[in-house]
Amino acid sequence: MTGERPDHFILFLVAGTTYALPTKDVAHIEMVEQITRVPNAPAFVDGVVFSRGQVVPAVSLRARFGFERVPRDIKSRLLVVQAAGRSIGLLADECREFLSIPPSTVHPPGESLAGIAARYIAGVATIGDRLIVLLNLDELLNTQDPILAA
Amino acid sequence: MTDFLEGFLDDYFAECDEHLTTIRRGLLALEGSVGRQRPDPVVTEELFRAFHSIKGIAGMVEHRESEQLSHEMESYLRAIREGDARLTTPGIEALIEGARSLEHAIAARRQGDTPPDTSRAVTLLRGLLSESTPAGTVHDTAPAGATPSAQWQCVFTPSPALVSRGVTVDLIRTRLRESGEIINASPIIAADGSVAFRFIFAGALDQATVDAWAADGMTCTALQSDDTDKPIAPSPDLVQAAPGATLSTGHYVRVDLARLDELMRMIGDLVILRVRLTDSITRVEPFVPPADRRVIQEHLIAVERQLRDLREGVMRVRLVRVGEIFRRMPFVVRDLARDTGRKVRVVLTGQDTEIDKFLVERMMDPVLHLVRNAVSHGIESLDERIAAGKPPEGTISLSASASGDIVTLEIADDGCGVDTERILARAAQVGLPVPPNPDEAVLLDLISSPGFSTRDDSDRASGRGFGMAIVRTTVQELGGTIRMTSTPGQGTRFSIDLPLTLAITDALIARVGTHTFAMPQTSVREVIEVDAAAVRAIEGGEVTPYRGGALPVVRLSRILNVPVSAMDRLHAFIVGTGAATTGLLVDRILGQREIVVRSIADPLIRVDGVSGATDLGDGRAVLILDAAAIVRRARVRGTGALPAVKEIA
Repeated sequence: MTGERPDHFILFLVAGTTYALPTKDVAHIEMVEQITRVPNAPAFVDGVVFSRGQVVPAVSLRARFGFERVPRDIKSRLLVVQAAGRSIGLLADECREFLSIPPSTVHPPGESLAGIAARYIAGVATIGDRLIVLLNLDELLNTQDPILAA
Repeated sequence: MTDFLEGFLDDYFAECDEHLTTIRRGLLALEGSVGRQRPDPVVTEELFRAFHSIKGIAGMVEHRESEQLSHEMESYLRAIREGDARLTTPGIEALIEGARSLEHAIAARRQGDTPPDTSRAVTLLRGLLSESTPAGTVHDTAPAGATPSAQWQCVFTPSPALVSRGVTVDLIRTRLRESGEIINASPIIAADGSVAFRFIFAGALDQATVDAWAADGMTCTALQSDDTDKPIAPSPDLVQAAPGATLSTGHYVRVDLARLDELMRMIGDLVILRVRLTDSITRVEPFVPPADRRVIQEHLIAVERQLRDLREGVMRVRLVRVGEIFRRMPFVVRDLARDTGRKVRVVLTGQDTEIDKFLVERMMDPVLHLVRNAVSHGIESLDERIAAGKPPEGTISLSASASGDIVTLEIADDGCGVDTERILARAAQVGLPVPPNPDEAVLLDLISSPGFSTRDDSDRASGRGFGMAIVRTTVQELGGTIRMTSTPGQGTRFSIDLPLTLAITDALIARVGTHTFAMPQTSVREVIEVDAAAVRAIEGGEVTPYRGGALPVVRLSRILNVPVSAMDRLHAFIVGTGAATTGLLVDRILGQREIVVRSIADPLIRVDGVSGATDLGDGRAVLILDAAAIVRRARVRGTGALPAVKEIA
């Protein structure tokens, strides 16, 4: 968050909180169709989907952040992100907004967010009276996670 | 020297041997072309490539004598190929002398001897190039004021567009004759296989003419006066490119495997789309008049057939000869036999059998391991063989054959056969469970167990950290199976069945509870119906009667963590061989189809027992199961004591 120019982000909702990922990390956003469950996959992985001919895991962000899963509905979206040569689908409750976030509005995660969840958070942006949580994609996709991968 | 470099040197020598064979053959053929205007271009090209390859690999292993000699010979051949030099009698003699020196240098390096003196050959070869580039005769018939450069190389590349404008080779030739003299004309073959014509032309051209001709597909470049080849007689008649022979060398295209994978992926998408189309048509069919219905069906069938052809066409591009795996083995065996004081000959059959390039790359090491094993554990020493009344020379046969979508590789020796007692003793020593009366499949299981090795790690032949465990794992990862048969005193045979290609395969589609999945047909030996009531729990698992014995069964519902159904009749896929024969229980079999295998790459979803996913036409991902991994998993889950394996055989 050191650049002077505002960065473009895609905003999405998970359990009432607005999260953001840099637009450049998101390959595309899809309606959620059938997800095929994969036996013995990590608990936060709902299964696999086909996305443009590729098999990608569908990661439940609710499960990843420790919330209850809810049934998918017409607003649910799958954000297919690309990181370190991998393609991964992130399941969000809603996703419908793009936003430029000036680096000056981004602050490091506060004390109250310390702990496991803080690792997924790159920063918190305050725009007007909105709080937007910027995610750290690398941590989010880490399979070595000692707590959630089990 | 490290093992790594040693292994690499083996490859170097093997490859050199192969190229030297080409070179010896090529030089003999070339001898007949001495003095001809252009020696056989195929042979020239082949020789050029052989020297070029040796130069490359010699550089990698820092074998300087070999690198330098190949470089000199390559340069001379390039000059001949480009028409810049003529093949003379001293030329062919220098090449033969050079090839002989090269052989000596390679042999010396292999035996660790002092390198021979190669300077004489190098000097001879260098002399050829300085002689063969004399100053060209200047045929300056051009009017004053034109560019003084006398000789030009004009390359004309015909195209349909040019021909339609009347610009043909004949016109170009007439045009050149009007401006000067054609010294030489020859067809050349571009990298993409198209034919162009090169004229060496003496005359004066000004820049305006060069530019004007460029619009007609001609590229004219001024030659340094000593670039042209004096000995080549003026030849106003265009030499016709002999189709076939001449074209073949330029017709190979190196393709990145990733691009073929991409093509395969696109065809996969088409296959799926076709399935969707068929489904949609089936739905609207009742509303279509019968006459139209028939036409639609015919088109659909035609599309299906063409798709299949397209798929096969792309798959064929990926296929390479199994010979690629085999070709190094004779050298490996020869070296190893010498080191261990044995006499072994290698018999190769079916080298022309084709298999997917990816499989060839992955199978190289496993086959190498089996061959090394055959020499060090299979073939007996000379004394032992003579005492046993066998021919002193042992035989290792490598064969490949294709049957349907399966390619079988066999590695057989006529040695002593596997030593059952010793394997069992070793197994007991390392704590592997040993069932009573083990058959060959059990023995293969044992020797393929990690940590099993009956010889010291210092054993050169097999102690390379690449054991039978990895051989078996590699074969299974590729969707194949491995079997072993062995007769005491007569030899051992390993048979490896591999799918011809990986991307598209036939699969059985089955249902377990609410789950649909695919099982590659290559891994299923048989499908049987099972009475749910006849499945009995025994210690460590369940069995069902099968062919007068008891077949261990695994409920896929348990492996897939889905609710167990309450059906009376179940089906079982019989998978695995020998002791590993297992029935995988499913509720229903929906049918057999051609599926497009999508690999599962991400670690989040790469789980044991699932080898990929496929789309049956509705956009849903259907998991493709890996039978071998499921059986392994089930055995680990049980107590390890497998039920009554002998009764099934």
